[in-house]
Amino acid sequence: MKRAIPAVISAATALALVLAGCGGGDEPVDPNAPVTITLAGWSLSSTPEFKALADGFKATHPNVTVELKEYAPGNDYDTQMITDLAAGTAPDVYVMKNLKNFYTYQSGGQLLDVSDATSGLGSSPALASYQVDGKAYAVPYRQDSWVLFYNKDLFAKAKVAPPDGNWTWDDYTDAAKRLHTGLKGAGSNATGAYQHTFQSTVQGFALAQTPNADLLSGDFGYLKPYYERSLDLQAAGAQPTFGTAKTNKLTYQAQFGKQQSAMLLMGTWYVATLLNQRQSGDADTFQWGIAPAPQFDKSTTGTSATPVTFGDPTGLGINPKISKSKTAAAKAFLQYAAGPDAGKALAGIGITPAQVTDAVTATLFGLAGVPQDDLSKFAYAKHTVKPENPVSKHTAGLQNLLNETHSAILSDSKGVDAELSKAQARAKNEVLNQ
Amino acid sequence: MSRNTVAGWSFILPNFVGFAVLTLLPVVVLFYVAFTNWNVFGVAEWTGTANFRRMWDDASFWTALRNTVYYTVFHIPLTLAASLGLALLLNRKLRGVRFFRTVAFFPYITSIVAIAVVWNQLFSPEYGPINALLGAVGVDNPPGWTTSSTWSMPAVIIVGTWRYMGYYMLLFLAGLQTIPAQLYEAAETDGATPWQRFVHVTLPGLRHTTFFVTVLLTIESFKVFDLILVMTGGGPGQSTLVLSQYIYQKSFEENQFGYASAVSIVLFAICFSITVIQFMVNKRRNS
Repeated sequence: MKRAIPAVISAATALALVLAGCGGGDEPVDPNAPVTITLAGWSLSSTPEFKALADGFKATHPNVTVELKEYAPGNDYDTQMITDLAAGTAPDVYVMKNLKNFYTYQSGGQLLDVSDATSGLGSSPALASYQVDGKAYAVPYRQDSWVLFYNKDLFAKAKVAPPDGNWTWDDYTDAAKRLHTGLKGAGSNATGAYQHTFQSTVQGFALAQTPNADLLSGDFGYLKPYYERSLDLQAAGAQPTFGTAKTNKLTYQAQFGKQQSAMLLMGTWYVATLLNQRQSGDADTFQWGIAPAPQFDKSTTGTSATPVTFGDPTGLGINPKISKSKTAAAKAFLQYAAGPDAGKALAGIGITPAQVTDAVTATLFGLAGVPQDDLSKFAYAKHTVKPENPVSKHTAGLQNLLNETHSAILSDSKGVDAELSKAQARAKNEVLNQ
Repeated sequence: MSRNTVAGWSFILPNFVGFAVLTLLPVVVLFYVAFTNWNVFGVAEWTGTANFRRMWDDASFWTALRNTVYYTVFHIPLTLAASLGLALLLNRKLRGVRFFRTVAFFPYITSIVAIAVVWNQLFSPEYGPINALLGAVGVDNPPGWTTSSTWSMPAVIIVGTWRYMGYYMLLFLAGLQTIPAQLYEAAETDGATPWQRFVHVTLPGLRHTTFFVTVLLTIESFKVFDLILVMTGGGPGQSTLVLSQYIYQKSFEENQFGYASAVSIVLFAICFSITVIQFMVNKRRNS
């Protein structure tokens, strides 16, 4: 026994030395040598975009293999990624699902400066979100924006005129109510609209559209008219209440896809979901269309103007712990993913790339099952997209408390004013002073 | 070192290493992190008692603490009564008693997510059977349950009690088996009523079990997390936000690991002191 212990220790030491030897040192860079870079993704079997990017890049860079590493979907993605980055086991290239955690990654030194991969990407608000002190720390490859999906069949059934691109929120509210009455009269149980339980469905539009609205100011008065309209629609029965949606775990996919609601405000990612669900039978087949999101006032309505909406870009950044021999390949991958070729590849599977060009619009509207009317194309291609999560140290904290405010107002409201002033006091005392 | 010592150490070492790395070390680190400002990346910055001073002025912390106490104060007596009642009921020689015991234990082994989904539907203010029943017996304004900031906590407490009563029933059943049958026979001979037998034989006989159950319930109630997270997510508003969820929010959602650790220490201190008090009271009663 006594002799065994030193033997075990020396064996362990030898093994440790061998392992350490494997990890050390960067090989010299040879542009044609085979390289494998790892890329983080989530729900790989049902999210084809990562494979589309990996395959598309391989076509132009045959020596580079992009290996996918699966992460948890939803909010757990960031938790898992932050843990892996802190532990030093994260992949070479990783995705930022939205802007909420960009500050954490960037200020924590977890993103490589990728300014030299941004040439040819032009200047877009999406790219600007990732720039700090003139340097870019990620590139956008996807940019969803929120639009209005509507069911043409249900509009016809209720004898209500479909959206024409000129809607303000008052027009939308009015249509939802008339749909409610019309559908009821026609013997349908469908509601005029469905507003999912996300805080974005109210707050995202209010922040993007209201002149001078600023999340970081801690002044949330701009939310008031948007909440009043939501409460009005709930009270009129024109949309399921927040409580019903929560307690019955309603999904927006089923509400719109199964024709339970005539209108749905949602991000453009829903195009791909709806197409897939129609194929699998999870959604009905009906005539549908896309219209611009209702606007704050008439100044941004109509197809000659540019509607204002919101949406965070989805970005790709490089883990600073990447080995030097792989950096060039990783940067080339970023440049590809944010560029026009990847844009077309993404549009081909129903995903909205960061740069919507005419070619991208043509590709997406060439897919079977996508509506062909001009308003749908306009709504998809033309708008000003403002970030839902302006990049700041305080964003995560403010969004968390506004999420609580959202559920408080929409459930058994103690009054919009009271909840908003409470939120303002909390923002000042608990977040902005930190 | 003797041969025996080495052998002894080698037996406990694997287990101890696991405990040290996965439990002991994180706890020690937590006590350090609580005095720092740390967002997971890079070096933790020492800030002394700043996190604790911040808590003093943090309205959300006090809300979470108040809600935790609210849950605990109602959850403990309700679960004690329900589980003891069940145990007494199922300690008799009934037909199919094993079946009923299993049924009572079922909620405890059911997935918490399934429980939340089903109970949320039962509680649904518009379509749920609970409010339909209340309406049928003449309640004009049935509560909004999980959609109302007044009723969300009672709803969570009801589900919490329902979920845990089977487990504590099992402990009480075990306790009941240890009370000698002669005591009941003697009491019966002396003409004691069933209530007198319960108060003078059963309750004293169960004292150790009750104490153990109360300590477990206290700790479990103070650190309630999963049930509330999946049922209400702390809402509506902050009406069901509890301390453990607040810790989760500050750490994993807002990356303020220093502050979250400080709140964890407060939660630990509360659980620890109440348990110590319970032990002291119990000791005095025993002597």
